[in-house]
Amino acid sequence: MNVQTPSLDIRHYLTGHLVEVFETMLSMKVTPLTAGQPPVFIERVTGSVGFGGDTVTGAVYLHLSATFANRITTAMLGLPPDEAIGETEVNDVIGECTNMLAGGLKSTLCDRSYDCAVSTPATIRGTSFVIESPQDVQHELLIFDYDGVRFAVEVHIKFNQTN
Amino acid sequence: MPIKILSVDDSRTIRLIVGRSLRPYDCILCEAANGEEGLVAAAREKPDIILLDVTMPVMDGVTMLTKLKEDPALKSIPVIMLTAESGRDNVIHIARLGVRDYLVKPFKEEQLIDKVGRIVQLKKKEVSAPVAAPVPAV
Repeated sequence: MNVQTPSLDIRHYLTGHLVEVFETMLSMKVTPLTAGQPPVFIERVTGSVGFGGDTVTGAVYLHLSATFANRITTAMLGLPPDEAIGETEVNDVIGECTNMLAGGLKSTLCDRSYDCAVSTPATIRGTSFVIESPQDVQHELLIFDYDGVRFAVEVHIKFNQTN
Repeated sequence: MPIKILSVDDSRTIRLIVGRSLRPYDCILCEAANGEEGLVAAAREKPDIILLDVTMPVMDGVTMLTKLKEDPALKSIPVIMLTAESGRDNVIHIARLGVRDYLVKPFKEEQLIDKVGRIVQLKKKEVSAPVAAPVPAV
């Protein structure tokens, strides 16, 4: 089977999709940043969803500071911003946001004949960790700003070209 | 008689959003966190409509829907799929399984109410009038 490289601009697609997810579910208007340093977090919350099939594999990560993750959670659940919330609620909300991002990407890939399935979301917490991928995997880092707070979406994707 | 709605989603967040959207309406919301629990809840509660997620652990929404349609007692319950996957083939696949409608995440609460309201008659809860003091029996 000869697999063509898909006519898909992953950066462009995911940028638009993230803006839509935040505006629809959180009523937050976020700004994509075209340049600048990746955000540095003291305490980080990362949502992750994997996807895989015969011709494509990868993962979508949503990186946020713990403070911003809490803010997103209260917005999503319709709670007062200063409401005390537990890690379980934050993990579920960040997982669901990541799931929406990955679900959109999966649909776009499937529409281009790159059939794949998505995993259920997982959440990683920590003060210092790096997600690395093999050299032959395409890596994209998208940076966004909301109200002076930076956060990022990271995508690792590999198209399996078979001849 | 209130409408009975079953929300099957592994995300508590989505179940909360569904509950918040339906709060103004005269309905009873039941919840399940995966397809297996959803089938048990459907058999027990006999809901008027089911809101069903696709990707879930234990049993996914497509498997639950397939089993639901195989059960003569449950197959007529209308199902709306809530999915983050809007791909053409995915939509065709779940449509063939007999869903009444689908809603792609992210969604606005009004969209959910609109979809549910096309299948069951949602009535706004009446604002309760002050309760009069009971009249003593003569």
